Amino acid sequence: MRKSLKFEIIRGAAAILVALAVAMVFIFIISDVPFQALYNLIVAPFTRMRYIWIILERMIPIIFTGLATCVMFNANQFNLAGEGAVFFGGLVAGACAIYLRLPPVLHAAACIAAAMLVCGLTMLIPALLKTKLGASEMVSSLMLNYILLQLGVYILSYHLADRTQGATMSHKFLDTAIIPTLVPKTNLSWGIVIALVATVLVSIFMYRTRWGYAIRMIGINQSFSKYSGMKVAATVVMCQVVGGMLAGMGGAVEILGYYDRFKWRQLPGYGWDGITIAILAKNNPIFIPLAAFFMAYLRRGCDLMQLNTDVPAEMLSIIQAVIFLFFAAEQFLSKYRHKLVVRDAKDEIAGKAAEKEAKGVEA
Amino acid sequence: MLENILGIIFSIPFAFSILRITTPILFAALAAVVADRAGVTNIGLEGIMMISALTGVIFSAWTQSAGVGLLCAMVIGMLVALMIGFFALILKTDIILAGIAVNMLGSGGTILFMYLASGDRGYSANLASKVMPSIDIPLIKDIPVLGQILSGHNVLTYVALLCVFLVWVLLYKTPLGLQIRSVGENPNAADSVGVSVNRISFIALGISGVLAGLGGAFMSMGYMSSFNTNMTAGRGFIALAAEAMGRGEPLGTFLTSLLFGFADALANNLQSLGFPAELVKMTPYVFTIVGLAVYAASTMNKAKKIRHHSKTKKAGAAQAGA
Repeated sequence: MRKSLKFEIIRGAAAILVALAVAMVFIFIISDVPFQALYNLIVAPFTRMRYIWIILERMIPIIFTGLATCVMFNANQFNLAGEGAVFFGGLVAGACAIYLRLPPVLHAAACIAAAMLVCGLTMLIPALLKTKLGASEMVSSLMLNYILLQLGVYILSYHLADRTQGATMSHKFLDTAIIPTLVPKTNLSWGIVIALVATVLVSIFMYRTRWGYAIRMIGINQSFSKYSGMKVAATVVMCQVVGGMLAGMGGAVEILGYYDRFKWRQLPGYGWDGITIAILAKNNPIFIPLAAFFMAYLRRGCDLMQLNTDVPAEMLSIIQAVIFLFFAAEQFLSKYRHKLVVRDAKDEIAGKAAEKEAKGVEA
Repeated sequence: MLENILGIIFSIPFAFSILRITTPILFAALAAVVADRAGVTNIGLEGIMMISALTGVIFSAWTQSAGVGLLCAMVIGMLVALMIGFFALILKTDIILAGIAVNMLGSGGTILFMYLASGDRGYSANLASKVMPSIDIPLIKDIPVLGQILSGHNVLTYVALLCVFLVWVLLYKTPLGLQIRSVGENPNAADSVGVSVNRISFIALGISGVLAGLGGAFMSMGYMSSFNTNMTAGRGFIALAAEAMGRGEPLGTFLTSLLFGFADALANNLQSLGFPAELVKMTPYVFTIVGLAVYAASTMNKAKKIRHHSKTKKAGAAQAGA
């Protein structure tokens, strides 16, 4: 068991190294100042305390989408609507932050709850289409992303927009709904604490409850789960609803903690980041914050690279795709794993033989 | 209002625009057909289209030849699809994840390369790229109404229509097609009679990449005359739905692609009638989900009927036996 964990870590590190090597090749082709670019990408994010706060800030929404992806992918449900749910969750929370009148804390909590409710219900569409009609949740959830985006932009421009502003953005959120900052003079809000609490709760849900167990078993073997009496359809629906709620919560926490008006007019990309993070964490919720930290660090590095050198920040998508491909590749370094297993077995046999000999001598 | 809408639907420009708008979806949907019939889900179509769209623009601008641009777009499309194959079939990455990775490359990577090629992040406006020509079809163009609808399209639109036929021939009239279908139906059985499953899957993915590459090239060298970010806007995904509704048949997929083209064309026109643009833009996607649901429901009903039928038959046989 420990050997296989060691192997997974080595393989993960190798995947990341391959991705960085690919990035390096591109940087050397593109840039006139390649070493400066590499420095900005890899080292610079750690050089100032301010940058580290920014990394922590950027972790908040992607922890939630990572957790959402985890829950859904564990049951082998390739629901990709996390992207749309984050966006729409932010919108719902924003609307509640403008129009509800509640005391502090309670107001923010109500906004988050509303976002979770709406996004959870939205996920019923791909989930029920899958279980009732057998339609691919992947295709319908992809369509859902575009629908949520257009619907959201429509609601923003026709119902929430503050006409006194130059650009399209909502009215100002009420102070009672804002999630306060955790560290003074930064944008890091209490959202990070909420995200970490959510991580713990989701981990408990996945590994310490009946429902979590059912989700994981269905992911491993759906037929077995069905014939051993689990409610497969209900679980498949449930995991997508939970996923939607988590993604919606992420959008809400991000909007209330980082902005004072709703102004997204594009999908924010956090849903796709969440998928990358879930892959990095091997679909284990406990590792999600770690993976999110890594992604946020890479993003900060790419931003700094764009700011200070001639390499565009979109380099991130190439790094991300390469990590993604190799991390999820079962056969990547499989020869090395074989060697490990063989060596392990040989050691064991040698150990047993030695034990026997020792016993023989004693006798 | 309704009269206005009907007036638009039954107009010649509208019918013409359906074909034009269907073209990229049709290419991608045919790409999905070929891959899916070999048992590989190519969800990277969206990314391949984006990458090919950019490739076409860059190479046609460099060489000042639309043909070279198109060819490069097709080759890149094939290479990217083969890359999905390499990771999915050799390194055993889940093929859906491999597809998602390609889509990431398609949305972010294209911005990177466009920036390098043109110094711009949003549009390729300062690249002097070429477009594929539009052609009039002799004889047909002289037929009233029909001629105005069918003639004068971009040459790639005709290629797309031709591809419907070619894919049908490939799947049903060639040994390769038989192998593709057998690998898709039952890879173990195909393997047991000496068909190399991986080889066939790679070939199918390659073909699917070329088709998606054509779709991407049409986007930037026909539908529009430049590349801009996220220009495919989910067409690669809509194509997956069209393929599913068309039951993986070339002709059926053509018809469902036309339906999506219709929805999209209608949406464009509704906008000019003063509907909120955002709601109108939703329609093709809503339509896709509804279409997918209706299709799934109909297949499920059919399956139930067959099961019911065989049950009653069995019951009847049992009674007769007693």
